[in-house]
Amino acid sequence: MTRLRRLAARMVRGPQADLVRADLEELYARDRARGIPRARAHVRFVRRLLASTISIASDRWSRPRVPRFGWLDIKLAFRLLRRNAGISLVAGLALAIGIPVCLAPIHLTLALNPRLPYPHPHEIVGVDYINADSDNDVPLTMYDVARVRREVTSFATFGAARRLRENLAGADGVIDVRSGAEVTASAFDIPRVPPLLGRALISADEDAAAAPVVVIGYDIWQSQFHGAQEVLSKSLRVGATRRAIVGVMPKGFEFPHRGDFWIPIQVTLDVPPAAGPRYAGFARLRDGASRASATAEFDAWRRRVAAEHPAQYAKLRGEITEFAFVTTNLRPSFGRVYVVYVASFLLLGLACANVGTLMLARAASRRSEMAVRTALGASRARIVLQLFTEALVLSALAAAIGLGAAEIALRQLTIVQLFEASLPPWFTLRLSAFSIAAAAGLVLFSAVIAGLLPALKATGKRTALALQRGRAGGATFGWTTSLLIVVEVATAVVCLAGVGAVAKGAFRAPSLGATTAAAENLVTELYLPPETRTGTPADLPKRIERMQREAERRLLAEPGVRVVSFASHLPGMRHLQRRIEVEGRELPRGAEFVWMAFIDRAFLDALGQRVLAGRNFEPQDAVAKGRPVLVNRSFVDWQLGGAPALGTRVRLARASDETSDPWHEIIGIVDDLGMNVIDPANAAGIYNVIVPGQLHPAQLLVRVAGDPEAFVPRLRGILSEIEPAVVLDQPVRLDRVFSEDLWEARFSALAFTFVAIAAVVLSAAALYALMAFAVTQRTREIAIRSALGARPLNIIRIVIARALVQLVAGVALGAAIGAALVPEILGGMSLAQNWMTVLAAVSAAMCAIGLLACAAPTQRALRVQPVQALKESL
Amino acid sequence: MPSLGEFEQLVLFAVLRLGDDASGVAIHDEIEARTGRDVSPGAIYTTLGRLEERGLVKSSVTEAESGRVGRPRKVYTMRPAGARVLRDAYVGLQALAGSGALAKLQDLAKGSGR
Repeated sequence: MTRLRRLAARMVRGPQADLVRADLEELYARDRARGIPRARAHVRFVRRLLASTISIASDRWSRPRVPRFGWLDIKLAFRLLRRNAGISLVAGLALAIGIPVCLAPIHLTLALNPRLPYPHPHEIVGVDYINADSDNDVPLTMYDVARVRREVTSFATFGAARRLRENLAGADGVIDVRSGAEVTASAFDIPRVPPLLGRALISADEDAAAAPVVVIGYDIWQSQFHGAQEVLSKSLRVGATRRAIVGVMPKGFEFPHRGDFWIPIQVTLDVPPAAGPRYAGFARLRDGASRASATAEFDAWRRRVAAEHPAQYAKLRGEITEFAFVTTNLRPSFGRVYVVYVASFLLLGLACANVGTLMLARAASRRSEMAVRTALGASRARIVLQLFTEALVLSALAAAIGLGAAEIALRQLTIVQLFEASLPPWFTLRLSAFSIAAAAGLVLFSAVIAGLLPALKATGKRTALALQRGRAGGATFGWTTSLLIVVEVATAVVCLAGVGAVAKGAFRAPSLGATTAAAENLVTELYLPPETRTGTPADLPKRIERMQREAERRLLAEPGVRVVSFASHLPGMRHLQRRIEVEGRELPRGAEFVWMAFIDRAFLDALGQRVLAGRNFEPQDAVAKGRPVLVNRSFVDWQLGGAPALGTRVRLARASDETSDPWHEIIGIVDDLGMNVIDPANAAGIYNVIVPGQLHPAQLLVRVAGDPEAFVPRLRGILSEIEPAVVLDQPVRLDRVFSEDLWEARFSALAFTFVAIAAVVLSAAALYALMAFAVTQRTREIAIRSALGARPLNIIRIVIARALVQLVAGVALGAAIGAALVPEILGGMSLAQNWMTVLAAVSAAMCAIGLLACAAPTQRALRVQPVQALKESL
Repeated sequence: MPSLGEFEQLVLFAVLRLGDDASGVAIHDEIEARTGRDVSPGAIYTTLGRLEERGLVKSSVTEAESGRVGRPRKVYTMRPAGARVLRDAYVGLQALAGSGALAKLQDLAKGSGR
């Protein structure tokens, strides 16, 4: 019997185990009493025991094991979050940053592969080559387009397109610069959107002998033709060619690129393979063809072509890919995407770990509440569920706030609008249902990391044991938490230093230096689109020279036009940066890089400037061997150390094996004229001379009396008379020039600020949590010490020691990394000159923030009343 | 109110028959005596536990009978809700079977009917 009893004790578990075991024994005894032989009674016992075990196990499995979740849990969670408003705010802020940052790459991937708004979107694919060596995309050429559409059978329709930006002029001659596309007629069969008026392009339009035609979009129809029905009898000049309008597409139709006019490509096989302009290839798959089968056929075709033209095609690989990749050129490289995904998850993980630390600290301060709830019969699962619900509510609120802010930012930020405008219309960064679903997943993930794990730790056996014995203890902070805090403090220091380095220049108006006449100048870029460049490459400079000379002559004849000038770069724009040598002079480190621009002799006059010393360029300078140069005031101060500049010679520094640049003599000194918009103190630069025809594209400056922008229509009219194909993109006043440098600096300053705020909040929160936890854990010890007469300073030392070590280690690490890395990262931008001071100030500020985070818990430690604390812990 | 399983009905009928003396062993004996099934104590207690959670039976612990050496027993009694559910199940079964069902079943079991 003893053995049977032992077996039963091992097998039967659960709340009813004692009753079951007792009944088993009783039934056995009765069997024996009834004269059933011992062996049989044993068998009956074991059979009943097995059946009992199975019944109990199946009962346990059939019951829901997680306690029921109700509205009460959520209500309670809200109440507790409100009660601990400080901790909730800090934790919520960390998650409100972490969740959107983690969502960003997922969102971008989804935005890049949307469901296209056309019938059977899954059939629409991109047709592309991949260079096997570099793994880069190689778009198709005319030769490919002509052959693929004849020879590859997997496509129901194959189309190709090339983006254009052209001057459009309607009947009234008003010029409008618009984006459009040169497309095969078949491109219209892919989206299957019928035209609003007239017809789409047809294959007869592609014929070289066909009359030139254009299909226009709704916007052009409205702006140029005021929505008139008789538009189909009118024509539109696109670039240099007047084309008959044959159709109007409906509002919002933009395919395959953003743009609203379409002209036919003249598809011909009469071109060399793999040469000439590149086209985005796309297709609608034939019924029954899959992407894999189409890729196989396309690549087999490519191998046949490679046999004919090995030099051009051997390294390529044919691929059927996402339609979005060929039209946006944004093919995510999977290696890179993976890194971004991992990095963003790590950031969210870091935020969650911090929030988890805060939760753990708070759970420690709620030990007695948990003890009471356990005593009242709450299971561990119940308490864990409650803590998890709190984290879930917190992360859901944080995600809603973070995503709301992100959505507002996406609507408001010009930089996003500019980015979106360069991509197809179906690409949008707005939140989609998929992104919201992904965000919900991240909320759950955050709640598990920040709520469930700390809850399990806080209610673990160690804590329960500690509670039973009336001791503080249970959950503790280990070395991982310490490491986390050190890393966060260091990150905060590096990012704050980055902000300090770029913020100065980034958040103020661009500096145009001493330029005085900016508001009188109309500036624009003169550009001849490649498709209008006829003849040999050698003809182009002549054509451009003719155009520029004629433009200068005609414009100067206009009333009110005072100066016309051409230059490579204008004040406020990003200039070239070049390494130079100065004859007979060793340049100090960092001074060998200077800004550079190419200007003509009217440039200074256009800007209302004169040379400060020496002379301006003369016509003969442009043809002299070793053309002379002008330098600016900063160059004299910084590169020449104030030494006499005139007559000194400079040249571009070259690697030893290259032919060296001839020496250029400095003939004049000018004021600083906005060569560095971010940091005017670092604006040393050189001006080289050019004559018309030497620059393409060139910046045109027209200094006008009165409002320069009122002169735009006249400027367009004159230039289109001289050269109908020339594109004048967005003429503006010089003081309103869009500066890439400034945008880049603002963008990186914003990014740095964002990460810095996140890091500061996280590290301050972690320090606070650590301190609060330490005070709770050591209340009894503090009470005993103060009862024994410990001075406040001693108590502060006990509490603050660990946090202080972490803070100092983090700041030291951050300062070291900052000193080494930030100048590297921001190499392209000029740093604030007092960079080390910035770093020192930031380190001091971080120490102050860290100490501030420690203030409240320290104060609480000092307020611990010995009697009270001892009474509570007994 | 969810319906009762077959075994739950057996246990409830046993509790009904035993009145104030429905302990685990007594229920076992009752079922074995009436149906010939040797059911396991584990099955009986898990079923009783479930019925108790649903408010159909209640349990109390009784001391060993005077003059006898033994352990305290947990006995179960039927609650009104249990009685209602069992009554509904029984009435439903009877209505479905109709009169003469037993005779028919016996005939069929013997293989005489087709």
